[in-house]
Amino acid sequence: MNTLSDNALMLKVKSGELDALGLLYERYKKRLFGYFYQLNRDPWLCEDMVQNVFVRILKYKGSYTDENKFLPWLFQIARNVNNDHFKRNKKIPEAGILPKYEISDLSFDPTMEENKKLLQEAINKLSPEKKELVVLSKIQELKYRDVADIVGSTEGAVRTKVHRILQELKEIFIELDKR
Amino acid sequence: MDYPEFKDLTPDYITGNLSEAELISFKQFLEKNPEYQVEVDEMLSVWNCFDEEIPKPTVTMDTHFYNLLHTAKQKQQKKILLFSFPQYFFTSLTKQLVYTFTVIVLGFVAGLMFNFEEFENETEGFTNSEVEDVRSQLVLALLEQPSATKRLQAVNEANKLNEITEAIIKALFTTLNSDENVNVRLSAVEALSKYSDIPEVREGLVSSIILQESPLVQIALADLMMVLQEKRAVDSFELLMDKEDIHNSARAKMEKTIKFLI
Repeated sequence: MNTLSDNALMLKVKSGELDALGLLYERYKKRLFGYFYQLNRDPWLCEDMVQNVFVRILKYKGSYTDENKFLPWLFQIARNVNNDHFKRNKKIPEAGILPKYEISDLSFDPTMEENKKLLQEAINKLSPEKKELVVLSKIQELKYRDVADIVGSTEGAVRTKVHRILQELKEIFIELDKR
Repeated sequence: MDYPEFKDLTPDYITGNLSEAELISFKQFLEKNPEYQVEVDEMLSVWNCFDEEIPKPTVTMDTHFYNLLHTAKQKQQKKILLFSFPQYFFTSLTKQLVYTFTVIVLGFVAGLMFNFEEFENETEGFTNSEVEDVRSQLVLALLEQPSATKRLQAVNEANKLNEITEAIIKALFTTLNSDENVNVRLSAVEALSKYSDIPEVREGLVSSIILQESPLVQIALADLMMVLQEKRAVDSFELLMDKEDIHNSARAKMEKTIKFLI
């Protein structure tokens, strides 16, 4: 099935056809929410952040050009939203006012569950910068070059860092597994 | 490919950063040396364990977004009006004439294209259906709003839909039968009248007659039933007229409608 590219839709938004932003929202809301969730684990805050991403798209739509690739541009905005929030406001919302969320069902596999727990421990030991690199690299369609554009680095540097992180995680995992 | 190169490329393979040529040679190496598959699997399981359970965003997020979009569209329309009118009136007569002439020519060309162009662009068609989906969601989100203005906007958006969905029809009937604001209910009658060729909509409209307490909505429905020549509405109007608190003008209108329909 043929559909307009993200780039074409964003150019429509830029030219004033704001309905096209609704299509981009539907395409990326879950991925953006997932990105924020993996970084800050606060679903309530994540929803606000997704909203802020689209507020900024509307505000800075004029700066988008035909040469931009939409996905890296979108996640560059998302990264800025996340960084700005934690720079400006370090308040954490009270647990009582958080909305309830549905957790998707996962087929139960004891080995997988155990591995997941071990890896979660390992991931928690990563620095925020390293964690962000992995989260961005996990996003489908984002290559090292795109991640480098988002974090303001070079393709080679991102590749080296991702390699090191994976190796580091693997070692932590093996170490935890031995316990 | 040798082992050091294979080891170096394994993370790129896992993260989907290999070129096509690299991917082919990586797979060939694995086929020839299956004993190294375990290294790939180890790395892959580490990578996959990063896929944690992510909760789903709530509907509130959608509602906030579509409100944002709606507000942005309104602001944009205001800006266009604000900038275009003074420019038009204060420019020179020649410019006004050129502008008017251009509009006429464009209108003529658009008319020609509209009449003769049978070719439909598939991509455009699909995009339109996407816009329809977004608009439908906007309608449903706005109908849930506590503000009557927002609900009115929702019904107006529903009027712009080319294809109606069952969910929208249900939402419009819920609005018609239970919304506290008369203007919103009247707009719902108008919106639903567009789809009166659908048998369920006709039946729904007839059924909702008895539920209406506002004389304005009763009159609007009576007018609509006359236009549709819907004889099944007679019973509903008779039942409604049996009630004591019916406004005189509404009663007169209903009597007239019943005479017309019989």
